[in-house]
Amino acid sequence: MKNFILIFMGANYSDLGFSPKEMQERLGNWGDWTKRLSEKGIYKGGDGLTEAIRRVEGADKVVIDRTSAELKEVIGGYILITAKDFDEATEIAKDYPDFDLPGGAVEVREIMDYSA
Amino acid sequence: MKEDSQPLVDHLFRHHYGKMVSTLTRIFGLNNLGLIEDAVQDTFVKALMHWQNGIPPNPEGWLTAAAKNRAIDLFRKIKSDHSRAEKVSLEYSENTIEQLFLDYQIEDSQLRMIFTACHPVLNPKDQIAFALKTIAGFSDKEIAVALLLKLETVKKRLSRARKTIKEQGIAFAIPNKEEMIPRLDQVHNVLYLIFNEGFHSTQSALVLRKELCGEAMRLCSLILKKQYLRTGKGYALFGLFCFHAARLDTKLSSDQSLIDLKNQDRTQWDKSLIDLGNEAMHKAMDFEELSIFHLEAAIATEHVKASSFETTNWEKIKNIHEIIHQYFPSDFSILNQAIVFLQLDQPKDCLALLKQIKPENLEKRAYLFYGLYAEYYLYIGDEKQAIASLNLALSNVSNEAEKAYLEKKRANLLNQ
Repeated sequence: MKNFILIFMGANYSDLGFSPKEMQERLGNWGDWTKRLSEKGIYKGGDGLTEAIRRVEGADKVVIDRTSAELKEVIGGYILITAKDFDEATEIAKDYPDFDLPGGAVEVREIMDYSA
Repeated sequence: MKEDSQPLVDHLFRHHYGKMVSTLTRIFGLNNLGLIEDAVQDTFVKALMHWQNGIPPNPEGWLTAAAKNRAIDLFRKIKSDHSRAEKVSLEYSENTIEQLFLDYQIEDSQLRMIFTACHPVLNPKDQIAFALKTIAGFSDKEIAVALLLKLETVKKRLSRARKTIKEQGIAFAIPNKEEMIPRLDQVHNVLYLIFNEGFHSTQSALVLRKELCGEAMRLCSLILKKQYLRTGKGYALFGLFCFHAARLDTKLSSDQSLIDLKNQDRTQWDKSLIDLGNEAMHKAMDFEELSIFHLEAAIATEHVKASSFETTNWEKIKNIHEIIHQYFPSDFSILNQAIVFLQLDQPKDCLALLKQIKPENLEKRAYLFYGLYAEYYLYIGDEKQAIASLNLALSNVSNEAEKAYLEKKRANLLNQ
């Protein structure tokens, strides 16, 4: 088994004006998804990220504050999973519950295995 | 993901939203509803971010704590910034704000919001939209879908309600003793309208309509929980809701088409709701007053009591309709009487009443009038006229499920 990180992109929840009912439904979808992955024993954790973004850039180490509302595509969170190969990890990413958000996308990256 | 985390209670977010908006309104006042709603919304976004790896053991407590922290934050900010337009009431300190998040205080705040939403200075249409938004936690869009309105109309009603509340300086309070009876009447009427929106205009595919019924029942029981708000009328209203709600799931077939009372599967009627309704009616009897809700509930009881459509006690139902018509005469009360006459095999009496009705007075339910005409013509064997009446009914119906029901009826006649 190999280790993968799924990085979630898309608009921030707080900018989309969901109703309480819609938010509960979204949460339910997430719960179902991570539960399924846990039951298969391939879920290794993950987190959501808060809205604040600070970027340190270039040789001069310029610090730029950005808010997620200004950006179309931000990283909203990630999860770690194990999978047989890249294709299997990609199939798992297809079940991500927030593809319908503006800019909703998942980036699949394999975590380097230094022991191999 | 914690293995032991439970799925969330149905409508937890929506209901909690209403509780917290009411609570924060105690602190920040009705003039700051926009600010309040944003603050509560923030706590849900926060929950969404935090709970993706597992729901905490006490989700409601978590949300309440988040709202309390957010409120105290906001309170400090506003207090320290004198230039801010929003005013916070001086009667509160951080300490007393904490107290407002105790269960009994949250209930008290909700009741204040219910009385605000049903305040007589508000337009009745605005009352419903405002109640669904601030108490039931529906979004503008969800209100539009549930009430079959344009989003713009809903927005207009909500902003008009807020403007009126501001201009009239309505207090966020439970009415005093002298005012209580008429104000409580108004609350009952609004709940009745909300329930009927859900029950009668069956927009089949939409779960939201069922939620309207659930909401009316929830708020009604919230009121009955308080001894000083208990009345015979309130119990009768709750009983009526229960009897209707018991049949709700059998009104639609699996393909989402409408099933009339005659063809509903009576074994599927919700027995526990019927029991609950009976219990409420018993409690209503402890009070001397009699209301339209008592009478309507008495009719609904006859329906849920009957083991089949044929064994329904139509004679008794006719008598109750007569009493209703005597006290609350309207074209609807005549129509209801006419419907019963046909069940009693008295087509002539049915026709005589139909002739008294002005369909335009029935507004969007005028199709029921033409539908009954069709039934009458069928009864006397005049299929041609029956089809003509169904055509009229169809040209007056806007609800998809009702339309499909009438079309099916017409198709059956045409195919004979």
